[in-house]
Amino acid sequence: MELNGGSVVAMIGKDCVAIASDLRLGNQAVGVASNFDKVFPVNDKLYYGLPGLATDVYTLKEHLRFRVNMYRMKEEREITPKTFTHLVSSTLYEKRFGPFFIEPVVAGLPTATELDPHPKPFISTMDTIGCITTPKDFAVAGTAQDKLYGVAEGLWEPDLEPEDLFETISQTLLNAVDRDALSGWGAVVHIITHKEVITRTLRARMD
Amino acid sequence: MALYSQPPMSYTQEPTTAPVEHRFNPYSDNGGSILAIAGKDFSVIAGDTRQSEGYSIQTRYARKVWQLNDKAVLATNGFAADGTNFVKRVKQRLEWYEHAHHKPMGLKSIARMIQTMLYGKRFFPYYVYNILGGIEEDGTGAVYSFDPVGSYEREACRGAGAAQSLIQPFLDNQIYFKNQQPEAGSEKFVPGNLPLSTVLSLVVDSFTSATERHIEVGDGLEIYVVMQKGRSADDLLDEKKLAPGLKVEELGALGEGEGERTFLVRQSLKRD
Repeated sequence: MELNGGSVVAMIGKDCVAIASDLRLGNQAVGVASNFDKVFPVNDKLYYGLPGLATDVYTLKEHLRFRVNMYRMKEEREITPKTFTHLVSSTLYEKRFGPFFIEPVVAGLPTATELDPHPKPFISTMDTIGCITTPKDFAVAGTAQDKLYGVAEGLWEPDLEPEDLFETISQTLLNAVDRDALSGWGAVVHIITHKEVITRTLRARMD
Repeated sequence: MALYSQPPMSYTQEPTTAPVEHRFNPYSDNGGSILAIAGKDFSVIAGDTRQSEGYSIQTRYARKVWQLNDKAVLATNGFAADGTNFVKRVKQRLEWYEHAHHKPMGLKSIARMIQTMLYGKRFFPYYVYNILGGIEEDGTGAVYSFDPVGSYEREACRGAGAAQSLIQPFLDNQIYFKNQQPEAGSEKFVPGNLPLSTVLSLVVDSFTSATERHIEVGDGLEIYVVMQKGRSADDLLDEKKLAPGLKVEELGALGEGEGERTFLVRQSLKRD
């Protein structure tokens, strides 16, 4: 975690979810790149973030892309956020005694089905070996985790509309990473609604 | 004669064990958090009342914030034994000063004195982070924060202790307006000008948030409010304007009293 740095935060709103990350890639205290995205799409209703060891970010991202594509072909449908969380979890637990150094965060909007006509927005997070937690407010991970907890606990409120959720998650991330030497160097935010996904790159402190 | 029946074992054949080193550790960490915010004509200094060691709670009520004189309040955090002893010695120095100069010591002078007292123990430090709040000689609210060996600075706000990492970025955002910009045409944000009611809400929110996510913070909250002389205290004493659950009490003047007023606001925090 402290080798490359980086942080991810996800939040639940009213019929929307948001996930955001910083863009720093470092080698301990030395900044290396300011375009290192840690949040990836699964489909247009489901995103996930992988803060942690950069080499494992790539490995895990490609591995999950493979497993989600296999799921799509076999099931002929899109994976739900909940199923995807368990897919990530079991992938991580496979490496129980030599883990990926990553704490994933998943954020998605489940599509309505006959069984569940009004699904709730979904976020989840895991430790390095895949132990799942599914909060009903926000999930944080990365080197600025404790700072993110502090700001998110102070700023977040229930049932935020997409634009208010964008403001809340952006302020949470920016103010947390500004107090973390290993996170920052730019930020990107994704707001997932039923209509569209809004992706914005934020202007941030570059020190 | 059994004592002599066996030949004495030579020392070279004796079983040997590695020497066990016993060493007294003079420090410990007692958790908790403190926070101070300066206003235009007031200063707010707060701390929780939980005192812990490791995963054990020693007491749910231990003081971390201390009234020094009519215009200064000191909050200590870190090793509680060092904290109480340090405050004791600061108070003693303030008393000596009053005897010598027939007036209470000014806030910035207390700050400089604290620096020399802390640096005086540079090689066996008080394991304490101090935050000094109060009213400056020009009547403005002030906050001074210190590290354990006396490095200090005057600021508009500061959080310290176990939950510093949770509190400080929130304060950066809400007090220093970091990562915020005023709407086009409206006034520039200036830190340290917020009304008392807003500051009190931010202090309470900071501590309830820290209590929620940090195991060493909780039980009770003590907020000291120091007001400039002549300032109306209606915004604090009017029960309707105050958030529910807060209890206010005025602390009487210490000594002569030059007009500054100090209030103690208490609130309970989660105990789990």
